[in-house]
Amino acid sequence: MMLTTVIAQIIRRNTGDEAMDWLEQKAALIRTEERSLQLNLAFAHTPRYTEKKNLQLEPQEVQQLADQLPGVAADGWTADRLARVWLLMQVPAENKDAYLKKIDGLFAAAEMNEQVALYSALPVFSFPEAWLHRCTEGIRSNIGTVLEAIMYHNPYPAGHLPEPAWNQLVLKAFFTEKDVTRIIGFEERANHQLSETLKDYVQERTAAHRTIHPEIHKLIEQ
Amino acid sequence: MCCNENFEERNRGEKIETTLDLSDISGMRFFDPHVHMTSRTTDDYEAMADAGIVALIEPAFWLGQPRTGLASFTDYYSSLIGWERFRSSQFGIKHYCTIGLNSREANNEPLAEQVMEILPNFIFKEGVVGIGEIGFDDQTAAEEKYFRLQLDLAKEAGLPVQIHTPHRDKKKGTQRSMDIAIEQGLDPYSVIVDHNNEETVKEVLDRGFWAAFTIYPFTKMGNERMVEVVKQYGTERIMVNSAADWGISDPLAIPKTAALMKKSGVSLADIELVTYRNAITAFGQSGQINEKDFDAVKHIDQSLKFESNSVLRGGQQPRIDKNSIIIS
Repeated sequence: MMLTTVIAQIIRRNTGDEAMDWLEQKAALIRTEERSLQLNLAFAHTPRYTEKKNLQLEPQEVQQLADQLPGVAADGWTADRLARVWLLMQVPAENKDAYLKKIDGLFAAAEMNEQVALYSALPVFSFPEAWLHRCTEGIRSNIGTVLEAIMYHNPYPAGHLPEPAWNQLVLKAFFTEKDVTRIIGFEERANHQLSETLKDYVQERTAAHRTIHPEIHKLIEQ
Repeated sequence: MCCNENFEERNRGEKIETTLDLSDISGMRFFDPHVHMTSRTTDDYEAMADAGIVALIEPAFWLGQPRTGLASFTDYYSSLIGWERFRSSQFGIKHYCTIGLNSREANNEPLAEQVMEILPNFIFKEGVVGIGEIGFDDQTAAEEKYFRLQLDLAKEAGLPVQIHTPHRDKKKGTQRSMDIAIEQGLDPYSVIVDHNNEETVKEVLDRGFWAAFTIYPFTKMGNERMVEVVKQYGTERIMVNSAADWGISDPLAIPKTAALMKKSGVSLADIELVTYRNAITAFGQSGQINEKDFDAVKHIDQSLKFESNSVLRGGQQPRIDKNSIIIS
């Protein structure tokens, strides 16, 4: 089963026919329009139809999602977040410039929940290399939910970020007291540079009489 | 530029209602060389004036929401030398600023290029006491590029530099910032290295730079630690600031630290150096700080206007009684 079909089923089962019918109607317009009017309208409008309840996934849905998008765990996402990711998957990618322009336009004017959806969609966007800058910018955000959308169960950073940007993600996770066990590639992408920086960080915390996160030691070379 | 990222630590504390007692330092004058008043309220201005802060420096920084166009930068710099300075004067506090492209937004290279074009229009404005706050955040190549370009600008203009050192990878980031300042030919005595801690201070002082300490709850220095630093390293080229901004921060950090130093037996002369005099000596190298202005601005007339705007609204009285539960 295609990924979009799996996601559409999850949304339909959680939010009901009315919301999913509306999304499909909008998706048809998004797939054919040249400009971004319908995309921009529908993207912003989505939560009014889907509402923001947390999604409940059946075991086989969890499995189907994991088969298609290893690492992604949408269990506990809000309905609008997954619906927005689904809408983003409908944007036609035949023309690269047009595609990038449409998605960039959404990033430029996104409010917090929209940012969460956009960063959650990093692994499903076409032209993965084109989103490196957006991803590193997102890591600079001080908005917790945005950081978590990039850090938690998102395979894009581990798969694509160059080492300095990856190291910033991990450092920022420690600084903002995130649950680092949810970062895909946390141990796999351990590296010498990160280890050195974390050693300094541990010293700094010690000098300031502050606590040290136990997971840090997994990334420090002995 | 600061950010209060440790939410859990912040919320853990017990909430205690007390009245702040600063009588130990009553009559002292303070200078806060790093505070982002744009993000603060008029209550803060009043409390700062009451606690003895006579002058401050507002460094240009990241507003939390990334800017997407040049006009946002132009308006921000203009507000630092315009509306915000006027607002400060209405509370009897002399307002200076430093102008620069902050490290986070240096990563937006197309925009950073445009910002570099307009910086020269602002750095010689009256009351601009340096280039700042500039330096590293993630320590990317783009950050380094615009850091170096702005150091060149400071050198050419003969202005002090206010360096923001990064939260993450602080020790190496601080060392690298100093290396680069020297490579670009700056005299360490014209460079104020900010947000120091116990791990960075020794090298900063040994190499001849100014060492600023930010008293900022949870993420930077606490003031008990600051007292220990002063006891260990003395007061030469050391200054404290609040870096108060849109995070949970404290615009009274300097008077509170002075009070704590007094209680801990630090001499009044030493307290004056780190909470007032050293900052004036360092940023005074711009030729833009005249202490007589601190008194001149004390003659407050809140009915004054800035481009026909006043801080007073609809026949408001200039001062409110904060101890009354009546808000009239």
